[in-house]
Amino acid sequence: MALSTGARSNGGSATVAQRLQKELMDIMTKPTPGVTAFPDDENMTSWTATIEGPDDTPYAKLTFKLSMEFASTYPYAAPTVLFKTPIYHPNVDFSGRICLDILKDKWSAIYNINAVLLSLQSLLGEPNNSSPLNGQAAELWDKDPAEFQRQVLARHKTPEELDAGGI
Amino acid sequence: MYDDEELAQLQKLSNDFEPEPTGPLVGERQSSSAITTEYANADPVFRIKTAALPDKYAYFRTCRGDGHCGWRAIAFTYFETLIRVGDVNKFEDEEVRLASMHNLLNIAGFQPDVYIDWVDEAFDLLRKLAASVQVMDGAAPGILLDTFNDLGISLAIITYFKLLASAWVQSHPADFEPFVNMPLKTYCSHHIEAANCEIDNVAVVALAESIVKPAGIGLEIMYLDRSPGEEINNTYHAEPTGHDGLALQNPPTMRLLYRPGHYDILYKAEDFPTPVQPPVPAQAPLHVALAGYTDDFAPMSSNMGDVMTMIPGMYPTGIGQRWPSVSYDYHTTPAPPPQCTPVQPYAPAPTPAASVASSHSHQEYATPVHASHGNHHHQPNQHPVHLEPPVTLPIHPSPSVGHMSLERAQSMTMERSMPFRPSFYELEPGYGVAPVLTLPLQTSIFRNSHYNTAHFLNPDFQPEEWSPDAEYATGGNRVRHKSASQ
Repeated sequence: MALSTGARSNGGSATVAQRLQKELMDIMTKPTPGVTAFPDDENMTSWTATIEGPDDTPYAKLTFKLSMEFASTYPYAAPTVLFKTPIYHPNVDFSGRICLDILKDKWSAIYNINAVLLSLQSLLGEPNNSSPLNGQAAELWDKDPAEFQRQVLARHKTPEELDAGGI
Repeated sequence: MYDDEELAQLQKLSNDFEPEPTGPLVGERQSSSAITTEYANADPVFRIKTAALPDKYAYFRTCRGDGHCGWRAIAFTYFETLIRVGDVNKFEDEEVRLASMHNLLNIAGFQPDVYIDWVDEAFDLLRKLAASVQVMDGAAPGILLDTFNDLGISLAIITYFKLLASAWVQSHPADFEPFVNMPLKTYCSHHIEAANCEIDNVAVVALAESIVKPAGIGLEIMYLDRSPGEEINNTYHAEPTGHDGLALQNPPTMRLLYRPGHYDILYKAEDFPTPVQPPVPAQAPLHVALAGYTDDFAPMSSNMGDVMTMIPGMYPTGIGQRWPSVSYDYHTTPAPPPQCTPVQPYAPAPTPAASVASSHSHQEYATPVHASHGNHHHQPNQHPVHLEPPVTLPIHPSPSVGHMSLERAQSMTMERSMPFRPSFYELEPGYGVAPVLTLPLQTSIFRNSHYNTAHFLNPDFQPEEWSPDAEYATGGNRVRHKSASQ
């Protein structure tokens, strides 16, 4: 008992690894259709994830790659999530930064990787146009869906193109 | 003095006050005069209010102002108060009770595999504290402080408490809906479950109702702001109720100090005869050996109550009176008087943090004893041995016993037996029965006196059975008995 306390008392990083290990197990044993996530290396603090664009949205049939970074205070602090695949979306800026409340002040320790990815997936189909990071996209979303679709496809890169581009 | 605009400006500054998130997550307990000092150069309202603070609340403890302080303060004091109650079984009861609320968590939509880790940390702490309280190694307060200064574990426990609060709010919509301006579910996820949200009134009430009050603990929150007045305001007060639905008498109470945007922990002086400081390991066994310790009484850690009982004429006046009982280092079996004299009224080296309380009580204790023995001294050299400073008598080892006068032997006996009374009042309701515990105080000398009103206190006393004839008819026996006992 004393041992485990000692191991966990150095900033709680052991608990983070344990927690992420557990999440990985869950993801492996019960994969959610449309999303994947896997740690980049064995220290578990950075992951690469993918989400598929939901049907009946401008992002249908597209796959987006994301990076996730977990601080030593995870799950009590939100992971840092970035789109690695360029995406044209009202709530994502051109460097891939995301404006989503649950990744900021509404983060709760009850969320996990899967919940984040599913939230991002639904954000694709339901952008929050009242606080956009990409003002043009927010405007086009309502005004000109066809142009919006064109912008999305123009900006998108497949994972293969991404790898070739050395990103 | 101030016009409205200035006042509004100052109030805004006070509202925006955000302490730097530095210092330990939960600090060491310290004298609350530190707060007075902190505000010594502040404006008069704060100065007056904080000057009055140490009289009522002798100690305080800081919580780091990182947005979790209110949650942390309540969680910490909840565990700390359980230690103060000092009942091993209480920890188990609380674990069972908290576990029984997990049904609420499930109904609120939290997955057991999500919250189980946090539950484990909280229960792990309960068990460690219980183990320490059971063996009375005095380590429990240190364990608690260390645990809450481990960011990971303290956040785990805080998160568990948040979920319980959220589930409680969602399961009592009628109590909370009028106070929130959005759907309860949304409110809970934004203002309670969110990892970085300060505790608000709704959550305080939810925690008080779900966790604090059912544990038989009261919760008071004192509010320090610029409002007019000479003392800090009591802004929130929760009284626990017993199984009968009536408010408990003098329940152990957690107290928080709220300054806009920040919570710290407050204590009254009487909360802490308990050594919450790291224990001195060698001491406990030493006391036990000196005192002829027997474990037939529930151990109560304190050093205030037994000191009080040393004062002639001081008795706990009612069952509800919250007197810290005899600490086990003073616990004596009713042995013959000579054996009892070496017993020490309190620890030879009182543990450091108790210094304020114990130095105060030293004084209270010393004065009356001095006075009573002083009467002997005025009688010209009747007992030369009395020239010894009387204060040292109680801790003086047996050699002086042989020189004791009869009067003093009697008074020592009284002093020795009195501390048994508060220990009875400290016990769980229903422990033993009143007659058994009150009888030993009726000496055979007084029992037959018709001036004695003590037998009215005896539940078995039946006045209609008494008659002078009967008394005199059996007089022969009683006289024999009386002379034998003298």
